[in-house]
Amino acid sequence: MPVVCMRGGGVCRALSSQQVGPGSMPDFQPVDPYRLLEDDLKDIYTDIRQAITSNTNLDELRRIASYYFDGQGKALRPMVAVLMARAVNLHLNRNDLLAEQRQVAMIAEMIHSASLIHDDVIDQSDFRRGKPSVNVVWNHKKVTMAGDYILAVAAMMIARLRNDDVTLVLSQGEFMQLGSKETENERFAHYLTKTYRKTASLIANSLKAQAMLVGADDALCEVAFQYGRNVGLAFQLVDDLLDFVSSSDAMGKPTAADLKLGLATAPYPELNPMIMRRFQEKGDVEKAFELVHKSQGLEQTRFLAKKHCLEATRLASSISDSPYQKALIVVADLVINRMK
Amino acid sequence: MSACSTLKLCSYLAKQGNYGARKSLVVCSNVCALLDSKRIHTSSRNFNISGKLAQNQRPDWNRAVSEAEKVVGYPTSFLSLRWLLSDEIANVALHLRKLVGSNHPLLKTAKSLLYNGRNNMQAWGLIVLLISKAAGHLNVDEMEEDKAAGVLHSQRALAEVTEMIRTSHLVHKGLVNIYPGLYPEPAVLNDMTFGNKIALLSGDYLLGNSCAELAALRNQDLVELMSSAVRDLAEGEFLGRRDKQNNPLPDASGACALDDWTTRNVLSAGSLLGKSCQGTLKLAGHGTHLQDQGYKFGKHLALAWQACLDLEPFTNGSQYVPGSMFSLTSAPVMFHLEHDPSLLDEIDNGLESVQNVDYAKVHSAVSKGPGISLTKQLQKEHSQKAMEVLEVFRDSDARTALSNIIVAMGEL
Repeated sequence: MPVVCMRGGGVCRALSSQQVGPGSMPDFQPVDPYRLLEDDLKDIYTDIRQAITSNTNLDELRRIASYYFDGQGKALRPMVAVLMARAVNLHLNRNDLLAEQRQVAMIAEMIHSASLIHDDVIDQSDFRRGKPSVNVVWNHKKVTMAGDYILAVAAMMIARLRNDDVTLVLSQGEFMQLGSKETENERFAHYLTKTYRKTASLIANSLKAQAMLVGADDALCEVAFQYGRNVGLAFQLVDDLLDFVSSSDAMGKPTAADLKLGLATAPYPELNPMIMRRFQEKGDVEKAFELVHKSQGLEQTRFLAKKHCLEATRLASSISDSPYQKALIVVADLVINRMK
Repeated sequence: MSACSTLKLCSYLAKQGNYGARKSLVVCSNVCALLDSKRIHTSSRNFNISGKLAQNQRPDWNRAVSEAEKVVGYPTSFLSLRWLLSDEIANVALHLRKLVGSNHPLLKTAKSLLYNGRNNMQAWGLIVLLISKAAGHLNVDEMEEDKAAGVLHSQRALAEVTEMIRTSHLVHKGLVNIYPGLYPEPAVLNDMTFGNKIALLSGDYLLGNSCAELAALRNQDLVELMSSAVRDLAEGEFLGRRDKQNNPLPDASGACALDDWTTRNVLSAGSLLGKSCQGTLKLAGHGTHLQDQGYKFGKHLALAWQACLDLEPFTNGSQYVPGSMFSLTSAPVMFHLEHDPSLLDEIDNGLESVQNVDYAKVHSAVSKGPGISLTKQLQKEHSQKAMEVLEVFRDSDARTALSNIIVAMGEL
């Protein structure tokens, strides 16, 4: 999912102050989540790189494995993870961030990056996060192994939290499903499952872990989980939408990958044979692209993304009032505002 | 386990009316069908040199393994069967089928998992179960025990994790490095890209599954230990010089053959088996001293086995086809280079691709040098060290089975 390329926190910061108007909610001071967490997040990439490099003395492995931890990512996962941790802690009258919770923020980013690296091997994308993607610089086998290495280091960090239940929650590595489904209805359900597994499950589970680590009760852990699930789903839906729209704006040659959202949403039986033959025939991609544009699919996706953000906002509102809790609501707004 | 016996096993389970097993029947027959296809047999040239050991050559080995399987309850193949019951693997098998006719190494990996399951010592899970039984367990809840097999359920799960980790690594290792110009034919490029995708996702699936299974054992020391074994496997792929397909080449100096060989193979084999054996003793409640012995046992056994595989192209009566490829970082070659660095000139022809090396020439040079006898010595030493560890356990059928396996290995 090559997103619109964001450079560091700068764009997000700009996004959040420009687009979250005070008018969007009564007596609501816009909180910039990144500024709020500046201290918590400023060393997070340094610490991740430290974890990566301290586990091997092989230079090339260090370089590949820390390639995407250059501080240029938008650190969505660590940001939301720390926000939720602090919001839950304050809810329970603790004004701190546990060392374990900070570890979880790092772990979430590491698992995410490992999957980005593996995505790059598959997608053959040339650029990510404003630089040549990792598979352009190194060969596929090494890149794959570096992804495995990051996962292993993250798993060791999880184990060192020494919390059986947290390990269980964070180890629910969901496998991205292969293949596609025959009918439109199945296809959309399948698309949502994929979306959940790709993005939402990691965010949901890491937020749940944050609540568990401070000893929150089941209900509060569930709020954390569901907030993460909804924000994650909305984020991925918007991401796919932006991919689709930007490739149609460019109106260069759309690729089959850009169609993934459209395929899932467009209710045209004509699409089925094309999907099954993986758009191998000439003109398939263009024809499919046109069909998707004619459909209500994009509108529906927008609607669905908004629905998940509203639900996230509702969940965040059930946590005690605090700057961090407010920032959780801002994050949900940010996700939606990306598609305006 | 041959593909056919897998099939039989599946039909048997299907008759029991087990839905999952019936699904696995479909999977197995898919896999069998594709593996029996002639094209794969002929396209297997550039692969995993070490794996081809003819079955008829080693009755003792086979007997040792199949008797060992009886000791811990059921054939090791059952461990793998559980994977075949999942939806995802059914999907993978369907995709694999699309790859038949292409040259993607994933087919080769799949084939070696089924056909060479025994010979190739994929059966690491079996070793883990045997040492579990040989060591026994302390103060454990009866519910946790598989009485008939003499191991804990958690130990069986760990054995399965060991095999999943190893398989995942083999599958990921089997990706192809695709670089511009490698496949000028678009259809071939398409096949290879697709094969890479399936290999990557299947490997990730196994890795993800092994994480989840490990987590369910609720032992954080164990999670850390096994995760570090995954780390070691990945690290092993970065050691030393590599050709464009990441095949290893000996270092330019050629010195320190023993250290170099040992480092490589501890990372790529010894660590996983060692840590699995260590971990299973941890699960059984044994103290750190015995756990360390477990690590030593697994490590030395894996190294002895590797030395044995390395020797295969150089032993009398082996099925080695003159001129065909073997590993350039195998012990005989590395020992030889230390003794006669001039052979490096030939080996360096493989810097682009190890296929460019004149294997007949290397084979003949190594055969005349000290490499083979040094490797035999190396194998003996590691076997010996593994045997020594066994002496700390009381006499039992499991201990006997393990020592039979070590002895059989020495006679290969």
